[in-house]
Amino acid sequence: MTLLALYLLATLDGALCGFRAFAGRSALIYKRMYYTRAMIRGVVSAQVASFLSLFVLLLTAALSQHRAELHADLESTAGRMLWVFLPYAAAVLINIALRALPSTDIRASTSVMVLGPLTGLRPFVMIAGVVYGVWSANLLETKLLGILVLVGMLSLETLLNRIAARMQERDLASAS
Amino acid sequence: MFAAWNPSQPEISDLIIQHDPVTLERLPVRKDDVRSVFAKLGNRQAVKVIDALPNRNGVLDPAAIDKLFVVVHSEMQRLAEEFYHGGRVWELLQAVIAAIRATCAAHNERLRVVDIGCGIGYTVRWLAARTPLAAQGVDLVGMDLNSALIKEAGRLARAENLPCRFVHGDAFSPANSGHIYLSTGVLHHFRGHDLASFFRRHELPETQAFLYYDFQPSFLAAPGSWFFHVVRMRTGLARHDGVLSAVRVHSAETLVSTARDASPGFASGMYGRKIWRTPLPRVFHTLVGIRRPLIPEFRRALGHRIGRLDELA
Repeated sequence: MTLLALYLLATLDGALCGFRAFAGRSALIYKRMYYTRAMIRGVVSAQVASFLSLFVLLLTAALSQHRAELHADLESTAGRMLWVFLPYAAAVLINIALRALPSTDIRASTSVMVLGPLTGLRPFVMIAGVVYGVWSANLLETKLLGILVLVGMLSLETLLNRIAARMQERDLASAS
Repeated sequence: MFAAWNPSQPEISDLIIQHDPVTLERLPVRKDDVRSVFAKLGNRQAVKVIDALPNRNGVLDPAAIDKLFVVVHSEMQRLAEEFYHGGRVWELLQAVIAAIRATCAAHNERLRVVDIGCGIGYTVRWLAARTPLAAQGVDLVGMDLNSALIKEAGRLARAENLPCRFVHGDAFSPANSGHIYLSTGVLHHFRGHDLASFFRRHELPETQAFLYYDFQPSFLAAPGSWFFHVVRMRTGLARHDGVLSAVRVHSAETLVSTARDASPGFASGMYGRKIWRTPLPRVFHTLVGIRRPLIPEFRRALGHRIGRLDELA
């Protein structure tokens, strides 16, 4: 269950990374489809990272001589990570929800006061969550898997930014 | 970092594109000339940005600079979207238009709204896309001295079939003058006597009002802008100039006193300085200038938002 929760959070993070990577690269006014596609790209990228992590996890489990202990260690590590990731995700989602209010001041304030700073904090929250999770882990495999997940999540936005930059470059070239 | 916050220096974008003031023809810009301006001030952040700009035989490559400007302006549009800038302009503009239509029968048919220094034309395109102005016969025009940005604005408008147009030229010339002038983030580019000269040019018989949006100076402006640009902007030019813009802005007192002195045919005052009735400053404030006969209808059209308007004099 905790692993599923982490997977869902990774998917949400991927969607938001996709949005951010493509934001500011299209100057059209009507951009609902553009952002929908951007978020889908983010979700797909998060799936690749998640399934890569899952593959390594299953491989580790298959080769492990203490499978039950590994399973329990992974569950408790993931549980500790959630103590960091869930409040962060809740803060992000609450502020996104506030943007539905019909006040430009409130909606703009969510960007300036909360979502902007939360974006800046994202890498640190990722590191803090994984470090807090693996700190008390018993097995080396768990610690290495945690680091793999961290690298995957931190690389996600960089990768999406590269894709978005290349697409923007192509659009600009075709426009000129 | 702090040398980059020195308000006495120009923005990089003010220097890397130069136009002949009469013909508006693009002039060559020597990279070393621009670099030395910032090197003298110890602004290493700006020097780093300039060093990365492509050049041919020491002259900045105009095509590469144009492309960079389009990229930067797309990033700036993202900030405008996050601040719901289109809606903020519409809030005031509809009150001004209602006042003009209620007061001057001569202007009931065709009003022209001109956005000065429109860049890639976000405000004008937003108004064309999201409001009934064009259907009501209002001519929405964006103007800029940068031909590359105007070309991109036109391309974007055509891509979405938006009823607006973009012109490379002087917004106060007889052919292009407007009944209402708008601008966003432009006023702080006018320094010293240039600010008064700019306002003097509004004394045209057809011009009824101006609504000028710019960053509001506050103790939070520089660090807040720095953080927001680090998080949101990708290009070094946008990060440098965006923060410098926030520290170079004119105070409300300077804007109002200069507008009142230089364009006495308009009553001027600030709008939307605080968030609700709190002491918290809005990121942008607005300098409103309006012909005096329009004031009663303008105040009526503002409705419950009248509390956001300072004294008009």
